[in-house]
Amino acid sequence: MRIVYADNNATTPVAPEVVEAMAPFFTEAYFNPSSMYEAARGPAAAIAAARASIARHLGAARPEEILFTSCATESNNAALVGAVRANPERRHIVTTAVEHPAVLEVAKELARQGLEVTFVGVDRHGRLDTTAFVRALRPGQTLIVSVMHANNETGVIFPIAELARIVKETDPQILFHTDATQTAGKLPIDLSGELQHVDMLSFSGHKLHAPKGIGALYIRRGTPWHSFLIGGHQEGNRRAGTENVAFIVGLGRALDLVMATREEDERRIAGLRDRLEKELTARIPSVEVNGWEAPRLANTLNLACHFVEGEGMLYQLAAAGICASSGSACTSGSLEPSHVLRAMGVPFTAVHGSIRFSLSRYTTDEDIDRIVEVFPTVVANLRRLSPYWDAKLDKPRPDAEVLLTQALEERRQRLSGPLQPS
Amino acid sequence: MTWNYSKKTMQLFMDAVHGKPGTHMGEIENADGFGEHGSIACGDALRFTFRVERHPTDPTQDRIVEARYLTFGCTSAIAASEALCALIEEGHFTPIEALKITNQDIANYLDGLPKEKLHCSVMGAEALEAAVFNWAQKRGVDLAALGIDITRKEQEEGRLVCKCFGLTEPYLRRKIVELNLRSIADITHAVKAGGACMSCHHAPGGLQDLLDETWGRQPTTLKQRPEPPLERFVASITGNGLSPYQFAKKVERVLDESVRPQLQQDGGDVEIVDIKDNLVYCRLVGACASCVGATRTLKMMVEQVLKDRVDERIRVIAVDEH
Repeated sequence: MRIVYADNNATTPVAPEVVEAMAPFFTEAYFNPSSMYEAARGPAAAIAAARASIARHLGAARPEEILFTSCATESNNAALVGAVRANPERRHIVTTAVEHPAVLEVAKELARQGLEVTFVGVDRHGRLDTTAFVRALRPGQTLIVSVMHANNETGVIFPIAELARIVKETDPQILFHTDATQTAGKLPIDLSGELQHVDMLSFSGHKLHAPKGIGALYIRRGTPWHSFLIGGHQEGNRRAGTENVAFIVGLGRALDLVMATREEDERRIAGLRDRLEKELTARIPSVEVNGWEAPRLANTLNLACHFVEGEGMLYQLAAAGICASSGSACTSGSLEPSHVLRAMGVPFTAVHGSIRFSLSRYTTDEDIDRIVEVFPTVVANLRRLSPYWDAKLDKPRPDAEVLLTQALEERRQRLSGPLQPS
Repeated sequence: MTWNYSKKTMQLFMDAVHGKPGTHMGEIENADGFGEHGSIACGDALRFTFRVERHPTDPTQDRIVEARYLTFGCTSAIAASEALCALIEEGHFTPIEALKITNQDIANYLDGLPKEKLHCSVMGAEALEAAVFNWAQKRGVDLAALGIDITRKEQEEGRLVCKCFGLTEPYLRRKIVELNLRSIADITHAVKAGGACMSCHHAPGGLQDLLDETWGRQPTTLKQRPEPPLERFVASITGNGLSPYQFAKKVERVLDESVRPQLQQDGGDVEIVDIKDNLVYCRLVGACASCVGATRTLKMMVEQVLKDRVDERIRVIAVDEH
């Protein structure tokens, strides 16, 4: 069966060009880049070249500002914990209610250790509440602000250039970190230009066609920060551990590859996503596009289908060879649906029925056709079984309509009050 | 997360969604027994109906001949609903005999369920029980006289322990014993209590207390989390003789007098988002918000006016809307 892979915000296939670039470093060029003999120079030079190239793509002033890590989760942990260690006199952190767990859980852990954390909420389209953001800042007290560049579930893009400027105008000593895992290679990133106020930026390789197990953390020179992984002198004494040469080379090659065609890929992928969105919303009644009014990544479509549950959709899609994700409770380890969709106030009649299709440079028109062919039936199948749906009229039953009204009213009220993090 | 569902579970689910002959999706009109369990807000809900072949003289001898379900929920919730209906139809039970079907029977029919999904089978058993009570009411059968505990109303009454899933103390106490639940995780897997915000786990009268009272264990000591420090209110604009409140009022008054009239002429306005010490955060609204270069104008104009008329240390920070 042909596989339609539409889960690129989870991970991406490694580009063949990347595999090819990595291969020599497993075999003939296996030497430890820290070694003194001539043969080790090749791997060391390859790392330097990858670092320089990545710095250039991000607009970093100096290659040394790029640290290689094992993944974006390590980068995020290192950014936050390293900042806390280096600035013991400051005890307040600002982040958002919709961060990836790699930031959210670190922030919660720091709160358990006695720091104070403010979680800023979002509106119903997933846009950051800028008023709450401004009010959360405490000049002289806030240590670090961490706001993701774009959300992994909805693709909603946050205005981090603007937010970082406000932070620095408030107090230049407050650090600004962004988790750019979903945007590196997809959006322009210029740390010398538009993003000049960003101090730290995390991303990983496997979202941009490099392999899993490699990430990077940008740390602007002069940022007060302490090493997270302690040991050898690698990475300028800031991240110990023998360099993962092949994967670092792969990350560099992958970024070269995606940046070379970034704009045309973005246009093409946006076309595919927009068609998918249009065709699915036309074919499926009672469906919402999460984040539709906010600026979104071109590759992400997050739908909420009222009165069905996401896990049943994923298994049916998988049976048809389609890979996607859901924010439903049953697909997570917990019994609660996605913290992102709840923070957006997605109504309870739809929050269990969310599905995310995320595309890549390898997604084709045929892939979109296949999803459009299969997905409406998947939803209809589950609705036929649902006690809330009238299969004959293909609309919610009268008592479910009442629930829907109630859910929408609840959302209205919730969103006019203060937003709470999960 | 991929669940390790049995082949049987996946098969029943796929058959159900494709409406294969022999599956039990649907709702019987004018059913002899009608029961519901769960709600959409909690993530799964089951409506269960059955039809009996009525015994001419003794209603307790009615036989269930048809069972149907409508289920909102995950793969295993739908498969468990199928299993419930199949078990009942295959058994050719009287409603009272059907009460003996437990969630374990449903799980066994599915060749097992992941432990986190046990609540799907519990939901089936609960809906069945509700439907049998409904049948008894309709047929005038006195279940209590037959020695059957019909106090399930307790579910709706009593102190709420798990607010997220709306579960009460009497209900949880009964389930802890009935299903032999020994830990908080057991409770969550079986009836979902404590699976969302988790605040009831160790709260006084919470899940751990109910477990300890039932099984006689010593309460575990909890590490106290440090309380976050109280936000201190510091009036740090010193030297101008104004309290933060007076300072804010003065900023507002100056904006009203010297800035807003001009902006309002053009159909716009300026809003103060926040004031922290000498920092005044402003946002342009209305027609001004979309004006190119307005942010810079705002900063320069407002800042100059405020410096002149309130305090020369004031800095204005422009806040754009998204």
